[in-house]
Amino acid sequence: MIYDNEIETLPREALEALQFKRLQQTLEHVYALVPFYKEAFRKANITPSDIKSLKDLHKLPFTTKDDLRDSYPYGMFSMPIDQIVRIHASSGITGKPTVVGYSKADIEEWSQLMARSFVACGVTSKDIIQNAYGYGLFTGGLGAHYGAEKLGAAVIPISGGNTKKQIIIMVDFKSTVLTATPSYAQLLADTIEEMGLLDKINLRVGVFGAEPWSESMRQKLEGKLHITAMDIYGLSEIMGPGVAIECEAKEGLHIWEDAFIPEIIDPDTQEPLEDGQEGELVITTIKKQAMPLIRYRTKDITKIIKEPCKCGRTHRRIQKILGRSDDMIIIRGVNVFPSQIESVLMEIEGLSPHYQLIVDRQNNLDTLEVQVEVDSKIFSDEIRKLQGLQNQIQKDIKDILGITTKVTLVEPRTLLRSEGKAKRVIDKRKI
Amino acid sequence: MKRIKQISVFVENKPGRLLDVVEVLGSNDIDIKAISLADSSDFGIVRLICEDPESAYKVIAKNDFTASLTEVLAIAISDKPGSLAKVLRALKESGINIEYMYGFSAKMKDYAVMIMKVSNLEETIKCCISNNIRILSESDIKSVV
Repeated sequence: MIYDNEIETLPREALEALQFKRLQQTLEHVYALVPFYKEAFRKANITPSDIKSLKDLHKLPFTTKDDLRDSYPYGMFSMPIDQIVRIHASSGITGKPTVVGYSKADIEEWSQLMARSFVACGVTSKDIIQNAYGYGLFTGGLGAHYGAEKLGAAVIPISGGNTKKQIIIMVDFKSTVLTATPSYAQLLADTIEEMGLLDKINLRVGVFGAEPWSESMRQKLEGKLHITAMDIYGLSEIMGPGVAIECEAKEGLHIWEDAFIPEIIDPDTQEPLEDGQEGELVITTIKKQAMPLIRYRTKDITKIIKEPCKCGRTHRRIQKILGRSDDMIIIRGVNVFPSQIESVLMEIEGLSPHYQLIVDRQNNLDTLEVQVEVDSKIFSDEIRKLQGLQNQIQKDIKDILGITTKVTLVEPRTLLRSEGKAKRVIDKRKI
Repeated sequence: MKRIKQISVFVENKPGRLLDVVEVLGSNDIDIKAISLADSSDFGIVRLICEDPESAYKVIAKNDFTASLTEVLAIAISDKPGSLAKVLRALKESGINIEYMYGFSAKMKDYAVMIMKVSNLEETIKCCISNNIRILSESDIKSVV
């Protein structure tokens, strides 16, 4: 199913022409109205008229999260506050939040893109959407909410948390779609199982995003909840959820190129990379009014898939996010993403999906401890069987990542549960 | 019934966890007949023999411990030098491997009790019968221990 057939299947040439036209308008707009960009362009010795085609995009300077923090709270807005109808802020755990403003037209556009995203991943106007993304400054809740209403589905604005009540509502209201972070979906799934209600739920689609998650976690969630679990991508700085979405082919996420221009760069050299090469995703918004961003460095690691998708959409896809360049842990020179460890753990039959990574440094050597919860499915009354399990996890991680880890089995429910984004890594290194 | 049920509980290796297990049982009026703690570097397994293993297990699981019920044998061993060796020899000759074992005192004249987890329950029971080794049942545990 396609929500906006004309724009979603627009031939590449026409799509790129549209992108260029909108890029020019955006550049003129920010150059004239945002002092930050006027200054940044001056430093880069460039004016909007120097951008003569999409290929010139890389000549423009980057925008970073630090730029947004330095402009706290309203410095990046290109409209006076009386034309702003909504203000969100990023869920950034460290430092000042990054503030984002939306005009009336921005909210309408976001709702459209989100409705488009819902349809692409199999949601229809007949669905009952239980929206367990947090409402508030975080964009997840309201972004999904407006998209669901735009689509004409019934939305239950339950937000995150209140897990048991959440489940009772899910059963009683016969929710068919769950929107949540994958780690909260996992907690919900576990609790549904504990309450013995797995056969009482009516979910058919899960729309999960806001943090990287592995293919094996998808399989677990799908198996347990009998749903098709779809990956949605977005970030508050750019818009919120609905920047990119998986279609039913589940082979990457279509990024809505009529609103955003994606690029992949090498995070170290900052040079643009070809389609198909892995690197940091950089996005330029070309439809936003209140706070357009030029070449925003997302820190998310992915690649652009250039091959056309079998669903017929012409908008290019990005691969499922592997991790964030700043969530990446470097252990003795090896790049490790929590999602890679997660994949290893999920491959082991019966293992609980709750884990935590503790990074430390002892005698000038990095150490990685993987804490895994032991539940009744894998518990044995024989020490050597549990030690065998520890050894197996250790060996599997070594085989895949080439690093030696300490594996610690911990009691169930001792690791922090998350109702929003999971915090998987505790880095105790003092460098 | 020749076999009895043992409750095994997973505990992290940190101060107070064993106490937590024992307190949960105590506050639910469950009498512990035998207890053994096996430890590795960062976790331990508490093995317990209680009068009513099913309800003891329920109490433990309800309090968020990871636990399991395992079938083990309680073997009466006469309280004389060399008698444990005699039992073990009989098991060895039947090719039975002992996974773990612990003993506890019993109010049985001239006998001690060993709890054993073995590689092959059926074989072990047969072996004990043919060697005149006494295996205690759940009701024996209630009355004699």
